[in-house]
Amino acid sequence: MSLVSSRHRTIARLHYRTMNTTEIAVIGAGPAGIAAAVTTAEAGAHVTLIDENPRPGGQYYKQPPFAFDTRTERWRQRSLPLSLAENIQHGRELLAGLNHSRITVRPNTLVWNITADRVLDLFAPEGGSRVQAKRVIVASGAYERVVPFGGWTLPGVTTVGAAQLLLKGQGLLLGQKILLCGTGPLLQLAAAQLLDAGAEIAAIVELHSRTEFLGQGLKLLGQWGKLGQGMAQQKRLVEAGVPIKYGSIVVEALGENQIEGAVIAKVDSNGHPLAGTEEKIYTDTLCINFGFVPATELTRLAGCEQYFDSHFDAFATKTNDELETSVRGIFAAGEVRGIGGVEVALLEGKLAGNAAARQLGYAAKANGHDPSTSQPLQREWQKARAAFESLSGMFAVKRDLFQSIADDVIVCRCEEVTAGARRDAARAGAQQLNALKAWNRCGMGRCQGRVCGPIAAQIIASETGANLELVGMLTARVAMTKCACGGAWRINWSSVSQIARVCSTS
Amino acid sequence: MTALSKCVPTLERGVPFTITVNGQAIEAYAGESIATALLAAGHRAFRKSDAGDAPRGLFCGMGICFDCLVTVDGLPNQRACMTEAREGSDVRVSET
Ligand SMILES: Cc1cc2nc3c(=O)[nH]c(=O)nc-3n(C[C@H](O)[C@H](O)[C@H](O)COP(=O)(O)OP(=O)(O)OC[C@H]3O[C@@H](n4cnc5c(N)ncnc54)[C@H](O)[C@@H]3O)c2cc1C
Ligand code: FES
Repeated sequence: MSLVSSRHRTIARLHYRTMNTTEIAVIGAGPAGIAAAVTTAEAGAHVTLIDENPRPGGQYYKQPPFAFDTRTERWRQRSLPLSLAENIQHGRELLAGLNHSRITVRPNTLVWNITADRVLDLFAPEGGSRVQAKRVIVASGAYERVVPFGGWTLPGVTTVGAAQLLLKGQGLLLGQKILLCGTGPLLQLAAAQLLDAGAEIAAIVELHSRTEFLGQGLKLLGQWGKLGQGMAQQKRLVEAGVPIKYGSIVVEALGENQIEGAVIAKVDSNGHPLAGTEEKIYTDTLCINFGFVPATELTRLAGCEQYFDSHFDAFATKTNDELETSVRGIFAAGEVRGIGGVEVALLEGKLAGNAAARQLGYAAKANGHDPSTSQPLQREWQKARAAFESLSGMFAVKRDLFQSIADDVIVCRCEEVTAGARRDAARAGAQQLNALKAWNRCGMGRCQGRVCGPIAAQIIASETGANLELVGMLTARVAMTKCACGGAWRINWSSVSQIARVCSTS
Repeated sequence: MTALSKCVPTLERGVPFTITVNGQAIEAYAGESIATALLAAGHRAFRKSDAGDAPRGLFCGMGICFDCLVTVDGLPNQRACMTEAREGSDVRVSET
């Protein structure tokens, strides 16, 4: 069931003159969405691939803007860091598949609403539009999980992904001396990339102890390629003298107007910081990543059932083996249906593409697989998924970590709600995420709970002893709210506030 | 202002032009986001927090956190990380 109100519909009617149609709409042009688009097009369907970014690629295969690489013969191979070269090459190969007569790519286009009957509301710089699709594949990816500490709102403190995306997509090194904190293999990968690009790495602060971390790494033994990659990275970091502080966390970022340093501390096996182990590290940039959380707001808006993925402590979109969600005709692929990494995302894109095309009567061979018997692909997928899930321990956050966040630490960056206020509300009865909204506007700010929702859920869980599944998730809202001033309608996502002008003048 | 963020030579940048930040001209290149241009020019704080007076800047870098909001050509609350810099863009930030 869509949550769009009749008033929203009226506004939309005012604005849209025509409704476009497409056979298959794919939302999100990351690895999953690209694979899905190519597969459906090869099977014979016409597909529209929509993404908010200027170029397809998603987070992993982020591409620099066209304006960057037209002047010369694109990348200067000589100075390209090794750790990035492979990524860029793979991305290019994948993107080449989009040059297909049946694929229409719509970049710079945000999907701000979706209904169960597959009507999408789009916003692009040239204005709003509406598309009716026969089938929809949602491949909206994931966000980074963050564990807050004092000073994390200071300029110069970002997610690890932000530093990676700026480097890959904009050729910009975020800082000169960079401290990375969190958990999982991404930290070391990102550190190697930033190092290769010329940054000094102040340290990598990894939540898990060395034994825990390497124990997880051993599970890679069955996957030689990955193990090799991981070892090469570690060697690179060790050779460069990068300190890796296992079993530690950042407890505070220091600085007035921007970050100047950080205090780190060792933690016990439950993630509780140990008094007396504090250490100060000078740094001009601090990047955080504690794994990922699926970006499910579109599938929630469409009314698709969600499930709690205990491997990664997060809600994700439920599908059957054909990757169709509980809403007929809407499929989900990639990280939106569970954290799984790039290989899984690519395979899921193909599977969803095959299934969606088949529902429309296309049965041509795609990707060398007969869509009517996608068993080999299915098996490959199950194997890749199991392999990734076996690594989930690397991303696991420890619950005491949330207990030890000081009461005065801001948890919600938009509304500036503190951990203490969250705890008070939880003790007073707000034991579910949606209830917390009424207490202290959790999830009501501009980010709509994308950053603070998962943190708030962990804080409630650690305060009340409830499990995360029961704490639940926030109800998705259409990205449109009534503007407090003047009564004009405007899109909540600020980049599209132009709609307000269009609507209020039409 | 010394910039901590630096352009890396791995990427050939686009056509250079100027944009203004609070009226002062800074260099930017075609294809850059406003966040990139600001950071490369040494601006790390883009705005003040809503309730308090705390400096805020780029955080997620992918358009979801809304902490990088700036005013562009008179239009408030634009995400610097998702908005492309254009020749002559008039950007307003709240410095600390
Ligand atoms: C910042 C970041 C860095 C990462 N780095 C690595 C790494 O180094 N190594 C690794 O193995 N994995 C990494 N990952 C995990 C990686 O994202 C996945 O393995 C893989 O990219 C998932 O592919 P996907 O297609 O599911 O989603 P994504 O690649 O995330 O693509 C989703 C796309 O959907 C678009 N989108 C979402 N909602 C909308 C909407 N409403 N309207 C329009 N477009 C929308 C987004 O703009 C995005 O381009 C990273 C993830 C993130 C978030
Ligand atoms: S940095 Fe998060 S929206 Fe721009």
